[in-house]
This record gives sequence, C-alpha cells and structure tokens, in this order.
Amino acid sequence: MLLQLRRTTTKYAAITMTNLQNQLAYVWEALNRAVFIVLIMFVFIQLWTAVYESQGATEIAGLSLAATIWYFLIAEVMELGKIRHDERISEEVKDGSVAYTLTRPYNYLAYHFFNGLGETAVKMTLIFLLGLPLVVYYAGWPTIQPQHALPVLLVAALAMLLDFFVFSIIGLLAFVTEDTFSFRLIYQKLVFILGGLMLPLDFLPGWLQPLARVLPFNLTTYAPAKLFVAFTWAQFWQILALQAIWLTIFGLVLLRQYQWATRQLAVNGG
Amino acid sequence: MKRIQAELIFLRALVGVNLASAMEYRASFISQIVGMFINNGIYFVFWIIFFNQFGTIRGYNVDEIFLLFAIVTLGYGLGFMFAGNTRQYMAYLVAQGRLDYYLVFPRNLLLHVIFSKMIVSTVGDVAFGLIAYSFTGRFTLVEIGLFLTTAVLAAIIFVGYSVITGSLAFYMGNAQYASQQMTNAMLTFALYPNSLFSGAARMMLYTVIPAAFVGSVPVDIVRNQDGRLLLLLVGAAILVWLIALFLFYYGLRRYESGSAINVNI
Repeated sequence: MLLQLRRTTTKYAAITMTNLQNQLAYVWEALNRAVFIVLIMFVFIQLWTAVYESQGATEIAGLSLAATIWYFLIAEVMELGKIRHDERISEEVKDGSVAYTLTRPYNYLAYHFFNGLGETAVKMTLIFLLGLPLVVYYAGWPTIQPQHALPVLLVAALAMLLDFFVFSIIGLLAFVTEDTFSFRLIYQKLVFILGGLMLPLDFLPGWLQPLARVLPFNLTTYAPAKLFVAFTWAQFWQILALQAIWLTIFGLVLLRQYQWATRQLAVNGG
Repeated sequence: MKRIQAELIFLRALVGVNLASAMEYRASFISQIVGMFINNGIYFVFWIIFFNQFGTIRGYNVDEIFLLFAIVTLGYGLGFMFAGNTRQYMAYLVAQGRLDYYLVFPRNLLLHVIFSKMIVSTVGDVAFGLIAYSFTGRFTLVEIGLFLTTAVLAAIIFVGYSVITGSLAFYMGNAQYASQQMTNAMLTFALYPNSLFSGAARMMLYTVIPAAFVGSVPVDIVRNQDGRLLLLLVGAAILVWLIALFLFYYGLRRYESGSAINVNI
C-alpha cells in the first residue's frame, strides 16, 4: 500500500518536474508572454487612482488604493497563471492522440493536473515578479501578517484546484463537441465580472454581491486576492467552506463526466 | 487606373476565398463570432457597473464608453476581418523565410500578404461595434457619418500599426511576441478613457503605441463634430502607413528565404 503510494507520488512528481524543466528551458518565451502583466497593471493603477481621486475617498468598501492595487496583482497572478489544459484536451481529441494518452499508465486528468503545475509555477512566479516593481512603486509593500500566509496559500491552492476542475469539465466536453473555445470564453468572462478579476466583489452593486459571493467564480480569483490584502478569519472560513462545497460538486460532476466522455469518444485517424 | 482596378479585383477574390475557407468549419466559425461578441459584451457590462458605482471619471461616463467601444471594436473588426495577416502572423512569415510564396506573384506584395488571412472572430467585433453605437443615441446624419468615417480610419491605423509591428521581424528576427504584445497594448489602451493617462504615458499613446488615434480622438471627433481633429486623424493614418511601408519594404532588403516548401490551402 505504502509502496504503491510512493510509486504514484514519484510518478506524478516526475511529470511536474519534467514540465517545470521544459518551462525553464524556454523561460525567455514564458517571460515574453508574462510581460503583458506590466501593461495590465499600469492601466489598472491609472484607472483606480482616478476612481479614488474622483470619489475623494481614502477607502472604498474597506479597501485603500494601495490594497486595491495589490488585490489586482494577486488576482491577475491567479488568472494568468492558471492551468490551461482544456485546449490540450481539445487538440488531443481533434488529432486523435487521445487514443494513446488515455491508455498510458497514469490517470488522464491527474496527468494534466501535475503537468500543468510545472507550467503554472513558472508562469505565476514570472507574472508576480514582473508586476511587483510597478505595484511597489505605486502602492508600497503589503502589510500581510505572517500567521495569515498559510491560510492564504491554502485558499490559493484550492482556488487552483477548483479552477482545474472547471477547466477539466470544459475540456472533456471536447470528447463530444471537439472544440471548446466558446465554453472556455464564457467561463473566463464570468470570472472577469463575477469572479472579481476586473472589479473586487466588494465594489459590485448591492444586489449582485450576494449572488457573486456564493457562485464558484469568485473562489478562484477574488478569494485569494481579497484574503491577501484584507485577511479576516471569518471570511477565510466562509471561503474555505464554499470551496469545499464547490469542489465536491464539481468533483462528482467531473467523475461522472469522465466515465461518460470516454464512452462517447470517437477517434479520427490512426 | 487599370492596375488599381486589377488589384482591387484580386483583393476581393482573396477576401472571398478567406471567407469561404473560414465558413468551411461552420460550427467553429459561428462559435468564434459569438464568443467574441460575448467577450466584448462582458467588458461592456463591466463599464456599465463601473460608471453606475463611481459616476463620471475624468470627463468620461457610460455614454462616452458606448461610443469608444463602438468605434474601437468596429475599427478593429473591419481592419482584421479583411487584412488579418499582420502582427505575429507576418512576423512569423518573415522570421521563417516564408514570404517566397508571395514574392513570386505579379501582385502588390504587401497587400497580397496582409489580405491573405481573415481573423474570423472579428466578424463578432464588427457586429458588436454597430450594436454598441445604437446605445449612444447619436443618430443625426453627421454623427453617423463621422462614426463610420472614424471607424474606417481606425481600421486603417490598426492595420498600418500591425504591419509596423509585424515588420519588426526583418530587423530583430523572432518578433512574434513583440508584435503581438504591441498590438495588444494598442487595443487595450484604446478601450480605456484617454484622460486616465498623463505625462509620458499619454505621450506614448500618440506615438509608440498610437492607441489615442483609434480610441479617444475618434470619440472626440464624433462628440464635438470636430472637422479639424478629423483632418488630424487622416494625417495620423497617412503617417502610420508611410512608416509601415518604409519599414516593410526597407526590411524586405534584409529578408532571407527559408527555402521551405509552402503549401497554402
């Protein structure tokens, strides 16, 4: 039993390390892609500086301008660093290579998760480091307490897992629809508004906030970013409970869908 | 005159082939258009919520944003619906030495290259731009005329600028990411009120990344019915294209064939 567990851990750790090495070998390309964060952060900083000026306020919904700027950096790191394996699944289905990958001695979805982790680690680090100088220049250093670091990291890790579940559900739709572009786009755009990527949930109209808070979208982006800039234990437990509920729901859906999709699969070519 | 006519017939044929090729995959064609429409719509929803919550910001309110989105998306859509083979696509052709295919044709090289690709999702941008304009409440003939004129000028500037960024490959080799980022930057900045930016950043929007000429300047032209500003916009479009032509044809002297066998379907 223990030996089996050790073998499994070694196998998936090797998958993560292989992709991590791949990403590091082509770090210049990853850097080129990540540089977009500088532009986005610059635009956001200008926009929200203008908003705080026009409101004549030092705080909006409990967030200072500096906290808002840091919020957007963390939200962007979460969003831009996510595992994007649904496109790969779609490609594998289209070119027929899924017939080979499904029969390999690993769990198909676990492979994508651990493979994606290697890429995500590089992407998130680069995005954070590139955005950092601009954010520090305009907002200074954040005031996060050391005892809050672990809970924030836990929520961030669960946010990634939840997002992976959703993208897996979207990706597996390719087994039937082949192309998942529109499903992905709709999900991403829901994260933009209801997930707090473009506007912290606290800034949404009063009627929309309760709905946005219980939906899963905010748990992938808003949750870690908000806890990073304004941590409260009450909000942490609330977020953790919601993440557990949505992980269970999406986990069950994914399990069922995986069994169904592999039966529906039609492979082209040979 | 005959030569121009022949070029136009050729370009029309290219656009026709591009469209037929894109429509071959009907589901993908429709999903890309609908997807882009939803994409633009979400940004639109963001601005509606934003201005409802915070009111006017530096002279911009939701009406100006409707107009800004209408012009930018229509301009971007018109430009890349017809002339999509620019930016990173052009940079790729140059860096890989794949311009040979175009060089052997007795046609205008640059026009042939840029009109050889259609970006399908931009059909969604065009539709969105026209619908967004219907929210502006500016329906006099002059306003509609200025809207359409400035959108076409924005399209010309978008394509001209993307030829500039694509041509960078002649000078720096692999310019795919640089050209993509520069064009994305132009679009991103164009969709935000110009008044947010000041100093060097504002200067940049009129020079290195001329987003002001496809966003806020056209908005001011329609809003104030400003003929002089319109002339400035025409001047900007001419200047962008003069730079694009210079960079492309001067860079072409440095082009090296990749001796690759191209199969263009």
